[in-house]
Amino acid sequence: MRAEEKRGAVGRSVPRLEGKAKVTGRAEYVHNLRLPGMLHGKIFRSTIAHGRIKRIDVTAARAVPGVHRVVTGEDIRAIIPDPHYGPAFHDQPILALDKVRHVGEPVALVLATDPHVAEEAASLIDVQYEALPAVFDEVEAMTSKAVVHEVLRPAGTFPDLKHLQGRKNTNIALDYHLRRGDAAAAFKKADRVFEHTFRTQQVLHVPLEPFVSAAVPGDGTLTIHTASQSPSFVRIEIARLLGWPESKVRVKVPYLGGGFGAKLYIKLEALVAAASLLTGRPVKVSLTMEEQFYTLTKHAATIRIKSGVTKDGRITARECEVWWNGGAYADIGPRITQKSGFTAPGPYDIENVHIDSYALYTNLPPAGALRGFGIPQLVWAYDGHTDMIARELRLDPLEFRRKNLLRDGRPQATGTVMKDAALDKALERVAARLDWGKPFERGSGTVRRGRGIAIGFKAVIAPTTSVAIVNLYADGSCALYSSTVDMGQGSDTAMAQIVAEVLGIRIESITVVHPDTDVTPYDMATLGSRSTYHMGNAVRRAAEDARDKLLALAREVGLSGETTPIAEVFRKKYGMQAGNIIGTGSFIPTYQPTDHDTGQSANVTPFWMIGASGAEVEVDTETGQVKVTRLVNVSDVGTPINPRIVETQLSGASIMQLGFTLSEKMEFSAGQCTNASLAGYRIPGMLDIPASIANEAVDSTEHGGPFGAKGVGESGTFSVSPAIANAIDDAVGVRLTSLPLTAEAVYRALRTKQGSPLKA
Amino acid sequence: MAPFELLEPRTLREAAALLASGDATVRPFAGGTAVMLMMKMGVLRPTRLVSLRAIEKRYSGIEAGAGGTLRIGAMATLSTLERSPVVRKEAPVITRTLRTLSNVRVRNVATVGGHLAHADPHMDLPPVLIALGATISTVDAKGGRTIPLEQLYSGYLETTLGRGELISEVTVPRQAPRRAAYLKCTTRSVDDWPALGVAVVLDTASENEGAVVRDARIVISAATDTPKRLGAAESALRGARVDDSVLRRAGDAAASEAAVIGDEHGSAAYKRELLRVYVVRAVRAALARNEG
Repeated sequence: MRAEEKRGAVGRSVPRLEGKAKVTGRAEYVHNLRLPGMLHGKIFRSTIAHGRIKRIDVTAARAVPGVHRVVTGEDIRAIIPDPHYGPAFHDQPILALDKVRHVGEPVALVLATDPHVAEEAASLIDVQYEALPAVFDEVEAMTSKAVVHEVLRPAGTFPDLKHLQGRKNTNIALDYHLRRGDAAAAFKKADRVFEHTFRTQQVLHVPLEPFVSAAVPGDGTLTIHTASQSPSFVRIEIARLLGWPESKVRVKVPYLGGGFGAKLYIKLEALVAAASLLTGRPVKVSLTMEEQFYTLTKHAATIRIKSGVTKDGRITARECEVWWNGGAYADIGPRITQKSGFTAPGPYDIENVHIDSYALYTNLPPAGALRGFGIPQLVWAYDGHTDMIARELRLDPLEFRRKNLLRDGRPQATGTVMKDAALDKALERVAARLDWGKPFERGSGTVRRGRGIAIGFKAVIAPTTSVAIVNLYADGSCALYSSTVDMGQGSDTAMAQIVAEVLGIRIESITVVHPDTDVTPYDMATLGSRSTYHMGNAVRRAAEDARDKLLALAREVGLSGETTPIAEVFRKKYGMQAGNIIGTGSFIPTYQPTDHDTGQSANVTPFWMIGASGAEVEVDTETGQVKVTRLVNVSDVGTPINPRIVETQLSGASIMQLGFTLSEKMEFSAGQCTNASLAGYRIPGMLDIPASIANEAVDSTEHGGPFGAKGVGESGTFSVSPAIANAIDDAVGVRLTSLPLTAEAVYRALRTKQGSPLKA
Repeated sequence: MAPFELLEPRTLREAAALLASGDATVRPFAGGTAVMLMMKMGVLRPTRLVSLRAIEKRYSGIEAGAGGTLRIGAMATLSTLERSPVVRKEAPVITRTLRTLSNVRVRNVATVGGHLAHADPHMDLPPVLIALGATISTVDAKGGRTIPLEQLYSGYLETTLGRGELISEVTVPRQAPRRAAYLKCTTRSVDDWPALGVAVVLDTASENEGAVVRDARIVISAATDTPKRLGAAESALRGARVDDSVLRRAGDAAASEAAVIGDEHGSAAYKRELLRVYVVRAVRAALARNEG
């Protein structure tokens, strides 16, 4: 290593590179972008859940002084013949065509230089619909006469969706099946069989920076500035819609004020692109906080889970039926149905498994990825179910989990053999931190105390690609070109640490160039906790390539590459401070697709994420109010690149899930969200955070990851909900199977248990 | 949000005159915390806002008069009220209520007059001030009037104020020697709008065996369409020595007399149960204080 920096950058809690710029208000965001001649767009949205568009009257809107143009779906069809987009299905129109499929669907766009004028004019648009029967419930959608899409249109990107091409009269966007062993026979032989149904509610990402995109038309080119987690996808999809080469579409992404899976694929990008091409002017659309409720949400789900168990507490069979409420457009829902669906039986060693998982269209706002990609819904079901079985069998919930836990070297339900998955360590550390073996103070009077644990796991989406470039300058400083989006998770800092480690240079001398598809190379997207592993590996390879080239250059000019300062090597070669060394690296893991009929694969994921939680609660028996007094989150994240950032990722994820557990819920009336604002939809505030919250990464190494690291963004969400429900059961003996765990739900369960149920 | 005209009169009388037009799209604007939200949601589309920020300074003052009666200018901000030493001295229940009222950003700009006149039943001060026996003074073209705060409310977001009639001042009798408490129950996040607010003001005679209630005022908010006094619950306490059975009777009386409505914070049936419990807890909390 070089003399400049021998300490090593990886494994240190380096302060975030962007921290100072953010707290001093200097960090760049799309919301602050002002372009010469820019038009602001305001979206007019559907007021009904399902209907045929009979007439769109924009006369009054167009007549408002200052309105430049009003754009409808038909206007867009004039320049983009098939204006439907989507990562799994080409099902979503840029503006509604012929039909609307959910309340809040964009129907028209008003453009004006003054955003207030655009807003005022949008309120004057009048649309007449012929209302159609609508379906809202995911289980009803399986057999409903109301059909959201007349014909299924898979995007063709994913081979396992091809069989759905052209299918009619169905709301099932994907059915995924896994068969292992013989579940039916095992249920017959089991000593006890348990079956429960769990439900989760539709919730929202609530990034504090709402969606925003701007497009600038050029000479046969288009530049899009967007708050997106997937700049490479945006470029490819916009180029496809326009029939242009990728090279003519440029996508730039500065910092994001949170994403959590909402800002993936196409959101506003196609709309601003079309509007800018129609007008020849830059067009920007900035959503309000309220409009986020109509853009992308997290799947509500119904999960039926059944287990066969021996007398001594071995789970021998598990059957899972999962219905995912995808809303009106598939977004990435079909991937969730499959990629998360195969973990539905939980991190347990079960010989006989039967899974059916269905992605469904309904007339609700679309659902997609949200910090966990379906996993928190599944863990909610299987680790509540696990606890209920343990209680029924009078087994200690920790002991019951220990007995059945999936250990390294054993096959998971897909047949993939577990490796580098520290499930046992995570479970044991949660138990140790809760002093599980010691007596527990149970409260008295109207306040009763309880505790619960839960554990979940996730496979990373595979296979996906990341590419990185390291540009070493002649003075020994360096730039990293990466399309990973830093939306607050600290990826800029972690990637710079990897470069600093490989090249032996100071982290402060590294600039991370933000995604700009004309400059930074391809990356699948910043999602699903994939960046540290995939981009981390690509960055490491790019830095190693640069280092190898530097050593070769030093040899060429007769210097020692190991000890000579980098600047001297360049000077000796070029006679002055000049030149570059470009290192490149790309990464795609090995993968074997799952079999269509059995869901089996010998290599379904490059790594496993583990998240366990423990909770202590106080329940007010007179009101049902639940106070989480202690929350412990333990994850296997491999070896942390930056321990402090890992800790904040775990705590942030767990607090986000705490909101989804206790308070957050989108309320609907005939498909209309009735609490679409931060006053009506409550996310946790500082006062809701447990007095004691501890986060820990277990001692672990991911052998395929850069410096032993793997993903961390989602693990803290997995187990919070069931841990709290299990603790409530422990405290007052009632079991809730639907989220959120509101005070009223707890109170009603208590009354029912007392034999005097509260009337509706 | 459509463009609108913003006027900034220098006197309260001038402001009242500007608002007297009878045009529903002309509205007063004090702290603006509620008006701005309604404008953002598109439910209020004013053509003209009459700002009260430049009116006479005396309408922002807080002072204690004879016998500790508080005179609070309608333009005093909630944080001024929160930090006022005379309020803490003469009516400590108000100071305590303000600490959990909305958040510091709202309290810094929202005004007492706006808070009362908005008539959103989820507001925290109306039940507390009604329980303390507050009156409000108003100004309009004809001069003005003084009425018990209780008579201000006629329905959800509705008051008995006429067009061009503005609250100028709130008068609050000294709390002591009465004992008082306000309990608020939120059901989603801690800083959510309340599902229920219960204000209790008790006039007690202390005896060795416990407190005897000479008089009680109990006012609830959030669960009903306007702040409501609970006469039957008050009667259950009046003249009684407080013990568990008296408290239970008061809680049961409250639960049966109030016209509770359900919303996103809880069903009517659940809020009724909360009321039964919180009336008891509020009386206990008031008695536990020995400030009076």
